Amino acid sequence: MTRIYTEAETIAAIDDLTGERLVTFIRARIVQPVQGEAGQMFRETDVARLQLLCDLSDAYDLPEDSLTMVMSLIDQLNTMRGDMRALMQAVAAENDEVRLRIHTLIRDLR
Amino acid sequence: MAGDPYAALGVSKTASDAEIKKAYRKIAKSDHPDLNPDPAAAERFKAASAAYDLLKDPEQRRRFDAGEIDDQGQERPQHRYYRQHAEAAGNPYAQEYGFQGDPDLSDVFEDLFGRRGQGAGQGAFRGYRAGSGGGPREADFSMRGQDHRFQLEVDFLTAAKGGKTRISLPDGGDLEVSIPKGAHEGQTIRLKGKGGPGFGKGAPGDAYLTLSVGQHPDFQREGDDIFVTLPISIDEAILGGKVAVPTIDGPVNLTIPKGATSGQKLRLRGRGVNGGDQQVELKVVMPARPDDELTAFMENWRKSHGYDPRAKTRTGG
Repeated sequence: MTRIYTEAETIAAIDDLTGERLVTFIRARIVQPVQGEAGQMFRETDVARLQLLCDLSDAYDLPEDSLTMVMSLIDQLNTMRGDMRALMQAVAAENDEVRLRIHTLIRDLR
Repeated sequence: MAGDPYAALGVSKTASDAEIKKAYRKIAKSDHPDLNPDPAAAERFKAASAAYDLLKDPEQRRRFDAGEIDDQGQERPQHRYYRQHAEAAGNPYAQEYGFQGDPDLSDVFEDLFGRRGQGAGQGAFRGYRAGSGGGPREADFSMRGQDHRFQLEVDFLTAAKGGKTRISLPDGGDLEVSIPKGAHEGQTIRLKGKGGPGFGKGAPGDAYLTLSVGQHPDFQREGDDIFVTLPISIDEAILGGKVAVPTIDGPVNLTIPKGATSGQKLRLRGRGVNGGDQQVELKVVMPARPDDELTAFMENWRKSHGYDPRAKTRTGG
């Protein structure tokens, strides 16, 4: 079951999040809540992301456009890491012959 | 021609078009390869004519001065893209990105990509040396063993409470497996080193068990919460009382409030999985056959106490 948070619940759930900050993040499209009947709704992912955004802005004093870039890099890296994880699991479960071929090729390339 | 076309002609950058033309003619006269057999003169002439070709056209000269084209008249590469370097093998800035410390995948990662970090590109793949024939030499070759993946059926209560079960392996052996408390459908359990054997110094692979959790006749589970439907008699519903209700850890007494009704939900805190709750839904059950006494009582009772439980439903019938 995925919990859905309203705007007020989201702001209440994260200490460092203010309404003003939330508006900034949404306007910059760094966070993209879902549009519900009762306004903007936030998934667990959005809430965790907002927490990270607050941490980053506070720790590094990042302005909005830098934050957009940093989050883009973080998203790219994590997506790749997820894909890589799946790929590595798939390779590791292949039989010896297949793994040997992959192994040899990778070591030639890298 | 390498370098500065102005230098090739021996003029300053601010030289006028006429001065440039004059300088070129001077070199052409003295260094033309048909006139001067000295190879160095031929080089000077070549450089000067290339320079003159570039600088005689005012637009080309402007673009060269602005850095838009190089001394060959080629468009200057506008921008370097770091990605080309960053993705390449042996990039000195290469960093690990989360698998080296991963308890499950660090072995797989290192087996495929070696260790990254100190002096990337060098010494990264010790243990593997391609032979001159192109293939790996047996003696030096190391590769981690294959990971094995299995499905494991676990009964409802073992998954909820944790416990041990056995799995038989395709090679004939069998293994005892500890199921963690609160194990859920689709969860994987890793048995380190229980996969295929490695080659050379390579470690054996791992076995991964994907759990499927069986059904239970009484309990249903959602996350850490357990759901139970509890049948109660009409007298228990009306008068209330203590009733034993099954939980995953054995029966527990539950207080039924007076006037309880079907569908009413009661919560037993902490009686679910891993500190979750158990939710009990009451279901009022009639006696198998209403006896005469109950029937007579009801007929009488209805005269003065009749009620309409459908008063709030807006159905036409």
